[in-house]
Amino acid sequence: MTAREQEYREMFMAEALEYYEAMGRHLSELERSPADVPALNELFRLMHNLKSNARAMGHTAIGEVAHHLETIFGLIRDKEREFAGSLVPVIFTGLDALGAMIRAVGADQPLPDATDLLTNLDRLARGEEPVLPAPAEADGAPAEEDGRKMELSDLVYIQVRKLDKLLNLVGELVIDRDRILTLAEEIGHPALQATARHLFRISDDLQYSVMDVRLVGVGVLLNKFPRVVRDVATAEGKEVELTLSGQDVQIDRNVLQIITDALLHLVRNGVSHGLEAPAQRAAAGKPRVGQLRLSALTERDDVLIQIADDGAGIDTEVVRRKAVERGLTTAELAATLDEQAVWAFLFEPGFSTAAQVTDISGRGVGLDVVKRALDSLGGQLRIESVRGQGTAFTLVLPTSIAVKGALLVELDGRPYAVPLLHTDTVLALRPEEFSVAGGLLLAHVQGQAVPVVPLRELLHVEGAEPLPPADKSRLQGPQQVLVVNYNNRRLGLLVDHFLRQQSIVVKPLGKPLDTIDLFGGVTLLGSGQVCLVLDVPALTRLFVARRA
Amino acid sequence: MADSVLRPVGGKAALAAPEATVQLIVFQLAGEDYGIRIEQVREVTATPEVARMPKTPAFIKGIVNLRGDIIAIIDLEERFGLMPAGRPLPERSYTIAVEAADYTIGLAVREVPRPLRLPAAAIEAAPEFLQDSGQRERYLEGIAKLPDGSVIIVLDMRKLLTPTEILRLPN
Repeated sequence: MTAREQEYREMFMAEALEYYEAMGRHLSELERSPADVPALNELFRLMHNLKSNARAMGHTAIGEVAHHLETIFGLIRDKEREFAGSLVPVIFTGLDALGAMIRAVGADQPLPDATDLLTNLDRLARGEEPVLPAPAEADGAPAEEDGRKMELSDLVYIQVRKLDKLLNLVGELVIDRDRILTLAEEIGHPALQATARHLFRISDDLQYSVMDVRLVGVGVLLNKFPRVVRDVATAEGKEVELTLSGQDVQIDRNVLQIITDALLHLVRNGVSHGLEAPAQRAAAGKPRVGQLRLSALTERDDVLIQIADDGAGIDTEVVRRKAVERGLTTAELAATLDEQAVWAFLFEPGFSTAAQVTDISGRGVGLDVVKRALDSLGGQLRIESVRGQGTAFTLVLPTSIAVKGALLVELDGRPYAVPLLHTDTVLALRPEEFSVAGGLLLAHVQGQAVPVVPLRELLHVEGAEPLPPADKSRLQGPQQVLVVNYNNRRLGLLVDHFLRQQSIVVKPLGKPLDTIDLFGGVTLLGSGQVCLVLDVPALTRLFVARRA
Repeated sequence: MADSVLRPVGGKAALAAPEATVQLIVFQLAGEDYGIRIEQVREVTATPEVARMPKTPAFIKGIVNLRGDIIAIIDLEERFGLMPAGRPLPERSYTIAVEAADYTIGLAVREVPRPLRLPAAAIEAAPEFLQDSGQRERYLEGIAKLPDGSVIIVLDMRKLLTPTEILRLPN
């Protein structure tokens, strides 16, 4: 058994025992007041979950008993049976049998036989009288006692909120540790330095342990998609084969939570817009069944989740035309954009190229939910598409939300942090290396003209006034340019200095300042100094809205 | 000095007085005494290093790291329009950290704030015409009259600290 299988089994055991105990509690409530609707609903739900979990783990015998009991609870809920008479002892026997079976799984022993029980449950379902064992109370006692054995799980359930708190505390500890290490070096006391280094190692271990506790396999999300794809494909009259891979890739639970809707949207979009109808595919000389690939892999510190289809690909010209129609850009500007820049419009609010509004994808929500989710995580989106061959969307996600790589820059004597996920390149340029066109300062980066704006102007532009037109004569001496990248748009920011690259723990801005979207939060530097974290998506949007 | 006639916190006079008392943190704005009920105050401290926050009104002096919490620092003299906006904080100032329902905010003051206990009856409701008029009067709880004839303007921070109120520009 692999470590992963072992972990899954422990999780199954913990949940199954929890369900079993809760069901015992609700059954007693139901016995006291047979009309207790909440208790009955809860029993039905728990039994259903136990059935699904057991079947997913291959414990079909448990699944079978749970399925039969669920049927009876369903009948009681529909008022076709009453929780009374001979039904009651059969149900209790059924629950005891489930407990015994779950324990047998935990002890790695063969599961006890449940044929008689299943026969009785079938009889109840058909409305017949069950055959109860002869009233041999004395014989039944030992078995019953065994069934009442107290169980404490080997696993502890923890609310994610508590883990969040732990992670924040560790983040602060790491900041103080860095500070102590700096001070120890300055003071130069050998024993202090040794202790500081030891503290460094321990807190490093602690940080990774806490981050590790929060990791879950991407599979917990990916495994929900076969059903989604099936439903969408049926509704749209498509034939789709879904392939999953990389379910074991580990990612922070909260990161996964935040991208759930985005992924759902991309998958639905892939089936309803990406893949063509079977007849259309056949006409294009492709197999009738479309391929949808949902895969996860790790790349350095990031997790990549990719949704790839072998459908029609993005029609760049249609997107370009729609972007102009929707007023997202002007016709002149649109004509100059390369395909990556055009595809970026797909993720603008309210953009949809679907001519027909379908039940599944055209619900007035665009792919902008994807962008929003990624922005909140500091993630990135990559798009690849070839006409007639297919489209692949890749979500680039941080493994953990707590610690981010950042570049520290200085402006007016204060540090600002820019998440590395959004930084492209840094340049030192002489004034004559810039050009000015249409009121914009331009730098030439790898053969591309990138607009450049002083960060100071972006941060201090007031109200709705436009940015002052670019004036090259104001540039004195070498200029430090940080090129950031958002939604495939590059923007150069003039800063005073580049300080260094470092890992930061981002704290959200509290009220009432959380309404200022230019800042993704704050971080505390090793010196205890407060450092604002720039939000590149918001800066880019501000630039686009205010440029002269 | 008004101080000399005030009963000190926890002092004998306060213990002897059977009537209900309230405890205030008293500070100066533009030369006048203001008070906040101590239940609304988390702590009083020398102002830590302030990081200026772009895109905020001038009366928001910036953000500070207060024991690991990042809180905004505001200048009430500017917020109330008692002083022209945009002055830098002096080298040494004090921060009264005030608790709102779900966040904490710092009030920067120039003189050391002091605690004061006084009978609840000493706080009179502010006259209605006052409550309708200017900036700070919107947030008045009442006026405390001291035995020496001086007055303390008692602010109700709960009225001031709704996020929309706190960011409101003077007038």
